[in-house]
Amino acid sequence: MSHAPVIQVHELKKSFGRVDAVCGLNMSVAPNRITAFLGLNGAGKSTTIKMLLGMIAPSSGEGTVLGRRLGDPAESVDMRKYVAYVSEQQHLYDYMTVEQMIRFTKSFHPGWHGEIEQKLLRTYELPLNRKVGALSKGMRRKLALLLAFARKPELLILDEPSDSLDPIGIEQLLESMVAQCSEGTSIFFSSHQIAEVERVADDVCVIHKGRLVMNGSLDDLRQSYRQIDLVFNAVPDEVEFRLPGVERISTQGHQMRIFASGNSEAVVERARAFYASSIDVAPIGLREIFLERVKEN
Amino acid sequence: MLWYKAWLETRPRYVISLVGLVFLSSLLVFSKERQVDPRMVGGDYNLVLIEAHMALATLWVLAVTLLMMGGLVREHAAGSSSFTLALPVSRRRLMAARIGVGVMQGITLAVIPWCAMAAVASIFGRTFSIPQILFHILVLLSGGSAFFAMALLVSSLVEGEYTSPVVSFGIVFAVLIELGDAKLARFSPLIFMFGLDEHRDKRTHLLLGPIPWLQVAIWVSLALLLMWTAVKVIERRDF
Repeated sequence: MSHAPVIQVHELKKSFGRVDAVCGLNMSVAPNRITAFLGLNGAGKSTTIKMLLGMIAPSSGEGTVLGRRLGDPAESVDMRKYVAYVSEQQHLYDYMTVEQMIRFTKSFHPGWHGEIEQKLLRTYELPLNRKVGALSKGMRRKLALLLAFARKPELLILDEPSDSLDPIGIEQLLESMVAQCSEGTSIFFSSHQIAEVERVADDVCVIHKGRLVMNGSLDDLRQSYRQIDLVFNAVPDEVEFRLPGVERISTQGHQMRIFASGNSEAVVERARAFYASSIDVAPIGLREIFLERVKEN
Repeated sequence: MLWYKAWLETRPRYVISLVGLVFLSSLLVFSKERQVDPRMVGGDYNLVLIEAHMALATLWVLAVTLLMMGGLVREHAAGSSSFTLALPVSRRRLMAARIGVGVMQGITLAVIPWCAMAAVASIFGRTFSIPQILFHILVLLSGGSAFFAMALLVSSLVEGEYTSPVVSFGIVFAVLIELGDAKLARFSPLIFMFGLDEHRDKRTHLLLGPIPWLQVAIWVSLALLLMWTAVKVIERRDF
């Protein structure tokens, strides 16, 4: 099993006129893991994904996907043999039926897994003879997921995969993602749904205004990020708590709230030194971590 | 399977165009046939087929412009280009399939209506020689290749689901108007498609040899240049 990153980009940049959609992105995605790609609307997630797939040429920077260089058309074609992508938009070919769509896609992938196709056809209850244009948004999304999953790719890139899916569809999607990953597929997916990310992701990358602001294992983030609420009779100066790992400090009356990405023990020690009357250290959810990192930047 | 996709994408437009061309060109021959003097000699009768050919050539240009509405730029506007571009095929191959299917459709849109016209004429006991039919089809297709390639290029440049055919139709009408003048007629691909130049015998209304290979080569070369430009545009474009 290779340990080389499935995606690696260095100083990747894309400008549209005067607007920098992605500016100097450095990122590495580990193999055989589910990596969530988080960011606000317009943060540069879709642009980054399109650059990875060769749909958009980077303005500058370099990178590889499964070892194939970005910006090289021949290597990009080769890379796409092993990468499946489900886009944010639910559009496929409206003029084809579900069966024709499957037959068409299958023809490009010799390693097509018929048993996955049959299983997902049953699970998603897709009507084979219906035109894609006549399917609901949710059904189109399910068809796109079937076309991606049945290939059993080395890398699966999903852009907002749960959009338009009902709760049962989301559940099926998350189960399929975990199942595919356990069978050796690396998954890189963008999402706004932090609850879903927390359920399935192993790693998280957060992009904001075209730059990576956080990258790490979800377990490590959960372990290291803490919210520390302190109460003092005489509140010390905030400067006293500006220790390594402290991201933000807010003071209100006798209370001080510290947001730390690590080193919380040192903060507690310092609080004790200033005779804090109450010390409360609480773990932080991904939503709060995400919002803090985005606000901070 | 890319050919299959290109075929499925254009099939409704192609079928409508083919039925329309066959119906209209046959109807034209049929209605002219009822108007002609029974004593009309063969040479004059050829005029009927020439008029039908001119109508066919004009309609063929419109049909091909409509057929070439499509491709990656239109898919981008409709939202399905992400799926196409994620397939393990180069953009050049995607374009080649689209051009290949378009060429086949363009040829059949000229040949089948001409066969229909000849069949309708034969019902009335009139014959039209096969070399003449082939000559007409040759000038139609070679001159028409410029319009075909122009529509391809416009569809590769212009965003919007229906903007491309509107722009293409605009260019076709501009060419008709600007190059319709007698002095500029030799630069008009449509006039060449009509077969109205020095190759027509004014008495018999037949196209006379030798086949104008040089002009055929010029129009086809122009078409190839436009198609090459369209492929380059698509290869370099961001989607």
